[in-house]
Amino acid sequence: MSLKKFSELFIDLDSCNSTNKKIGILQNYFSSNEALENSWTIYLLTGKKNKRFVSGRSLKTLFSEIYEYPLWLIDSCYLKVGDSAEVISLLLRNMITGKNIKYQDVSLDELLNKSFPELSILKEDYKKLRVKEIWENNPIENLLVINKILTGTFRVGVSIGLITKSIAKLINLDEAIISHRLMGDFIPSEESYKLLIDKKINPSELNYKPYPFLLANTFEKKIIDKSINDFQFEWKWDGIRIQLIKRLGKVSIWTRGQDLVNKSFPELVEKISSIKDDFVIDGELLVWDFKQSLPLNFSLLQKRINRKAPSRSIQKSLPIIFIAYDLLEINGEDQRDSNLEIRRNSLEKHLYNWLNESKEELSNIFKISDLIYPKNWEEVETFKNNSRDKGTEGLVIKNKKSIYTPGRKKGLWWKYKVDPMQLDAVLIYAKGGSGIRAGLYTDYSFALWKDGELIKFASAYSGLNNSEIKELDRWIRQNTIDRFGPVRSVRPEMVFEISFENIQISKRHKSGIAVRFPRITKWRKDKLIKDADTLENAQKLMLNK
Amino acid sequence: MKEDSSYLIKYTSSGLYCELADAWIDPIKPVKRALISHAHMDHFTFGCDEYISTYETAVIIKERIGKEINIKTYDYEKEFKINGIKISFHPSGHILGSSQIKFSFAEEIWLITGDYKRQKDETCKEYEIVKTDYLISESTFGLPIFKWDEPQKTATDISKWVNSSQEKTSILFCYSLGKAQRILNEISKTNFIKNIYTHSSIYRMNNCYKKLGIDIIETNKLEQTKNNSDLKGSLIILPPALNKNSSLKNFKDRQTGFASGWMSIRALRKRSGYDKGFSISDHADWIAILRTIKESKAKNVFFHHGDSEALNKYLKEKNSINVLQFEYKK
Repeated sequence: MSLKKFSELFIDLDSCNSTNKKIGILQNYFSSNEALENSWTIYLLTGKKNKRFVSGRSLKTLFSEIYEYPLWLIDSCYLKVGDSAEVISLLLRNMITGKNIKYQDVSLDELLNKSFPELSILKEDYKKLRVKEIWENNPIENLLVINKILTGTFRVGVSIGLITKSIAKLINLDEAIISHRLMGDFIPSEESYKLLIDKKINPSELNYKPYPFLLANTFEKKIIDKSINDFQFEWKWDGIRIQLIKRLGKVSIWTRGQDLVNKSFPELVEKISSIKDDFVIDGELLVWDFKQSLPLNFSLLQKRINRKAPSRSIQKSLPIIFIAYDLLEINGEDQRDSNLEIRRNSLEKHLYNWLNESKEELSNIFKISDLIYPKNWEEVETFKNNSRDKGTEGLVIKNKKSIYTPGRKKGLWWKYKVDPMQLDAVLIYAKGGSGIRAGLYTDYSFALWKDGELIKFASAYSGLNNSEIKELDRWIRQNTIDRFGPVRSVRPEMVFEISFENIQISKRHKSGIAVRFPRITKWRKDKLIKDADTLENAQKLMLNK
Repeated sequence: MKEDSSYLIKYTSSGLYCELADAWIDPIKPVKRALISHAHMDHFTFGCDEYISTYETAVIIKERIGKEINIKTYDYEKEFKINGIKISFHPSGHILGSSQIKFSFAEEIWLITGDYKRQKDETCKEYEIVKTDYLISESTFGLPIFKWDEPQKTATDISKWVNSSQEKTSILFCYSLGKAQRILNEISKTNFIKNIYTHSSIYRMNNCYKKLGIDIIETNKLEQTKNNSDLKGSLIILPPALNKNSSLKNFKDRQTGFASGWMSIRALRKRSGYDKGFSISDHADWIAILRTIKESKAKNVFFHHGDSEALNKYLKEKNSINVLQFEYKK
């Protein structure tokens, strides 16, 4: 039972690059620790929804005020380190060495259930005293972990998958069960950990939990050697993947990121509740343009997710639709071991009944994913290339014989995305990265020509390899024209090929356009800036879409 | 305040330069006369007409480049004159033979620290506090996030790392001159029980140190090892340039570590691709830089090497010293 032990675990995991070794480390830790502490450890390491007790900014401010330390100096350090929690733990070594304190170890439960939650109700002055006390009453080795828990930023390269594997090994139970048990909300407690490692499987224990999602692999050329009739073809929608669950009459909507989003989509909950059967359906949620029968921009969907309890008028102006892909459970019976053909038939049959029986206008919100029937692999290509006309981003190809298993197993489903749109643009701004990219300029802004002027049109962070990142970082430092805080404007000299999935009119941007998922695909050292694309070219892409 | 052009030491495209003595300090291009602060190769340039350094630095340089050069040596503290400028070398605590260089002319003293550290290191002379009017300090680690652990702690960490991995070959990367010898010295004081193998570049430097009277524990020359399976459970020390797959493919079950001051930052540790980072440095950390400025009694300070923005601003706010910047002429 202790923070010390957890801190050591953190250091061990952090200084090890082998997955197997990490699983071994976790197994040892779990088997030699108390249930309650283990449950908190899982909560912290899987860290999607860790509570933030203090923001990174306030952590820096607290340090600055407690020790009368210049905030600008903390910010300069941050540029090098890229993590507020780590900066403060490094700086604290200058403040609290040489004191002889007998440290008392605390449990994670005490910290996370008592000490830290209490902080938020304290007045500013007391809060400072309390944080100072926490810092100064703990050994230096534990400070990074403490600050990371405080700021709710626990990412250490330990995925849910790794936790799943180590627990499964620990109790010698199938990974799928553990992964299912870990779905949804994991509320730390002695019971939740004991349930996790229970060798007996209680069918009702998983009632409110979504199944682990089956994920598609990237298209592999080799599958075209097989008969086209072995596969089912559907459009790949750009919405959010969800599991729509109705069990014991209760509806829950889970995203792939394992957020429960019932509150954001009350109209869906309401209409689904009227269906007489219980079920679990895998599908996609989109904001829909009913006139054109096309999905609306992903950003509008984001708007809907972020709005808890949306008003009637928002529900009307941003109407949603659920597109069903797959039937995973019907009236309490798990369907995942049946093959896709059977599941699809069953889905069609049930949906037909529901639509017929419903008094509500269920068809306005609940659709089945239309199948596409290419006659041969050449036609698959044509369908894929035309997928933008449908407002989709490509095809999903599914093996008709596939069962529904967790994760990205080979040979089951493939995504076949349409080629991205591309423009050559000029690098104009660079910003320091954070996290593992701290101290390097890795966040770039790119511009296109308009009437002899360069207009910013997109920002991108990914696409360059490590040596290119280093090279570009050096170039940026040597070619800075101006600096605004962490941002440098650079000499317009470098041209990059930027790829993106979609392009749309946007009033928020000076360029008048917004692109979806921009990334760098090539450093065009062969091009001069006069060869870069114009904003007009971008608008043409939009029209040809 | 003086005009830049009237400074005794100025900054030129070849490096720091004392015009009156017509001598460059650690020049980066071939020049007529070069004062060399220490034997790391990024402070040495081929092709100068004349070199001047401490005796130890000269011995190490000649060993490294494998040929004779026109190099004159002076002991620490020993004052010599060039064109009437009094010059002397003083221990900087960076590596064996490393020195600060002091210039006196017309009642004015300038001190170039060169690379230095204030931590204890038994493989070289300890940093000497020299009073000066103008101080040119290195600032490689000029941010308060840098604070070195006791070298014994780092050595114990390295020991534990190797001792607890019987089934693996532990490969530690570090600079072959200075850092390697310091680590060997510190490790020999822990309960390290394994065999140590060193790359020939490190092995040679160990011998060089021994020749100069520094006690370094015996290691095996890696290149003479016939059977790689003997290396299981032992420690191999390699220069960082060899951290690539082609050089490491022979060591099947391995764990890698890097010993450097930069390893105290997690992002740099992760990016470096080594399994483990050991924070140990032969440079001054933030506190050591501030302490050195204070103890030198300098009224004016310049920073050289590294990012000095934060130091400049910090000292200006404290208003305790005049912070100057060289005019950088391309």
